[in-house]
Amino acid sequence: MLKIEHLTKNYGEKKAVDDLNLHIKPGEIYGFIGHNGAGKTTTLKAVVGILQFDEGEILIDGKSVRTAPLECKRDIAYIPDNPDLYDFMTGIKYLDFIADIFKVSETDRKTRIRKYADLFELTADLAQPIASYSHGMKQKLAIIAAWLHQPKLIIMDEPFVGLDPKASHLLKGMMREVCDAGGAIFFSTHVLEVAEKLCDKVAIIKGGKLVRSGTMEEVKGDDSLEEVFLELEGESC
Amino acid sequence: MLSILLKKQMAEIFRSYFYDAKKNKARSKAATAAYIVLFMTIMIGLLGGIFTFLSLSICGALSAAGMDWLYFAIMGLLAILLGVFGSVFNTYSSLYLSKDNDLLLSMPIPVNVIMASRLLSVYLMGLMYSLVIILPAVIVYWVTVSASAEAIFGCLLLMFLISVFVLTLSCALGWVVAKISLKLKNKSFITVVISLAFIGGYYFFYFKAQTLIQNLIANAGAYGEKIKGAAYPLYLFGRVGVGDALAMALVAAVILALFALMWLLISRSFLKIATSSGRTAKKEYKESKTKQKGVAAALLAKEFGRFTSSPNYMLNCGLGVFLLPICGILLLWQGGTVISVLNELFGERSGCTPILLSSAVCMLASMNDMAAPSVSLEGKSLWLMQSLPVTPWQVLRAKLGVQLLLTGIPVLFCAACIAFIYPYTPLELLLTVLVLVSFVLFFALLGLFLGLKMPNLNWTSEITPIKQSACVMITLFGGFVYTALLCAGFMMYGWQLGFVGYMGCFALVTLALCAVLYFWLKKKGSSLFATL
Repeated sequence: MLKIEHLTKNYGEKKAVDDLNLHIKPGEIYGFIGHNGAGKTTTLKAVVGILQFDEGEILIDGKSVRTAPLECKRDIAYIPDNPDLYDFMTGIKYLDFIADIFKVSETDRKTRIRKYADLFELTADLAQPIASYSHGMKQKLAIIAAWLHQPKLIIMDEPFVGLDPKASHLLKGMMREVCDAGGAIFFSTHVLEVAEKLCDKVAIIKGGKLVRSGTMEEVKGDDSLEEVFLELEGESC
Repeated sequence: MLSILLKKQMAEIFRSYFYDAKKNKARSKAATAAYIVLFMTIMIGLLGGIFTFLSLSICGALSAAGMDWLYFAIMGLLAILLGVFGSVFNTYSSLYLSKDNDLLLSMPIPVNVIMASRLLSVYLMGLMYSLVIILPAVIVYWVTVSASAEAIFGCLLLMFLISVFVLTLSCALGWVVAKISLKLKNKSFITVVISLAFIGGYYFFYFKAQTLIQNLIANAGAYGEKIKGAAYPLYLFGRVGVGDALAMALVAAVILALFALMWLLISRSFLKIATSSGRTAKKEYKESKTKQKGVAAALLAKEFGRFTSSPNYMLNCGLGVFLLPICGILLLWQGGTVISVLNELFGERSGCTPILLSSAVCMLASMNDMAAPSVSLEGKSLWLMQSLPVTPWQVLRAKLGVQLLLTGIPVLFCAACIAFIYPYTPLELLLTVLVLVSFVLFFALLGLFLGLKMPNLNWTSEITPIKQSACVMITLFGGFVYTALLCAGFMMYGWQLGFVGYMGCFALVTLALCAVLYFWLKKKGSSLFATL
């Protein structure tokens, strides 16, 4: 579903991502962890086509992000760490706008908006301008928008930040549903307990380089993910 | 603490002069100096020039009649009017709607210090506009009448007091807008309507002022005495410029007291208004039938939504939308008179009248420059346009579309009105329409080009990209200059080509420029947008 090959991104002299290789298969929830500034967001932005990269290749369902960006973008959804949405729109107008861009039919969008907005208890607020939403409400709206066109691959940067426990629980369930239906999820998080319980596979990035990746068992063995992460970060547990 | 906040505020206002957002680094000293010189040329050369001419025409006459105070009173009032006009629209947004209000309020910074730093940007904007009038007036007085110590001190104090009064009035009006905004629905349109009424009043006064001033000069003595009797504060205000000690003390005391009152008023409500969510009664969502739009239509609707959601955006970048139809209707109503006056003035050179009519339409059309700040207005939401399955060119085309529709349709309406009142041949009419349409297209493309070349995505108040950005200024004044070129070019040399020849050439040159900008936007502009 997602193949990252020798991805390298430089910011001037600094290598933000250095020769990164990852392969995410359909049905996998893939966690991406690392310290602040390790290169997680840079990698995610490169995958969704926001950031041009210097070397390497990113393939989504066999299509190159570099040469066929639109085809790739049609198959994915992205939720950034800080969901800065269009404040001047109401929630429902924003969802309609996203549905129009992804050419979601009137019937499908209606059904999905009703389903997810009800789940996240956001239905009553859909007529309100986004400017009046709290951070958590914006995050919920961004999630609903991401699920609208039933993407094959969902990329999320710290998706649980700002969500209340119930919404977090719902999101975890929705992530699993996507993967059970043959999709894939690639997300970054600092909440190691969540990663440990939720992810099928995990990758740890440090200073732009991939230091460990694989199934949860391969990465952590008998230890906890936190212990492995701290050990790799050079801290004593 | 205040100095830190002032530094931050200044850095934001003048950011585009010192920082190249595209290259993400500071501009060279030469580039910074060039930008500042360009800005100063526009402000001092163009606007200052107009008011120097006005000052020269009334200063001598009023001074000779012993009515120096009346001269300062007139110029001072005009300065206040322009100062308030220039700063009132951004007072509300920069004072109460700045995105970093929450951040600053959460820090150990006294609220008064935050307010003071915000007010400074309003003060600077008012000062800039009022100085455009009062500075030439003062210099003309010093050069042609007197540069005594009293006159110098009086004039300097007058300039300072005017700037403080402008700030006071702008803040009071901004406070009223803020109070209204907390209670109203459809505030964008209501704010626009109120503001347009204000602008209408302003222009009505401005045009009446020409006749009034001529009348005043002719009967300076009689009017002076009448004003002195009926509006004594105005007399005192004018006397400040002459250097009258008593007037200086009294006017300074009153203006400073008014400022203190305004400060008290705002400081009592600032926290409440700045932290209010602005919610009116919650509108309950009811599921309704939606019509699926195509990608281009969805993007265009999004751009229209952005434009109509902000009174600042509509007023600063879309005045032509309102003024062009008014111009068309006025032409239908009074067109005969206008044409006979123009024919009388320029009758001996054929083609002048239709050129002037076209220039007037171009001048009004150049007040629409919504494409210029549209890239910067994406702000932190830019990730959406970059991550959704749309090409950068589709996004840019939607931004162009808003300006082309909102300017093109009213311009064509004006053209139809002109065609109704002026006896064009079919070829003349065709070329007139071609010039007008190419003008609209050129300035939409130019605005977007400049917006892409000078983006500012990290603003805390939307007024920064809308009103204080170089791309908007250049597009706006570029439109005025291009219009002047159309008119002056014909008067000086173009008449030799005849109306048809000149308009044909002008349309051809403009369309060629359009083609250059269009292909740049489609290729390089699209790549630039993708990497912002």
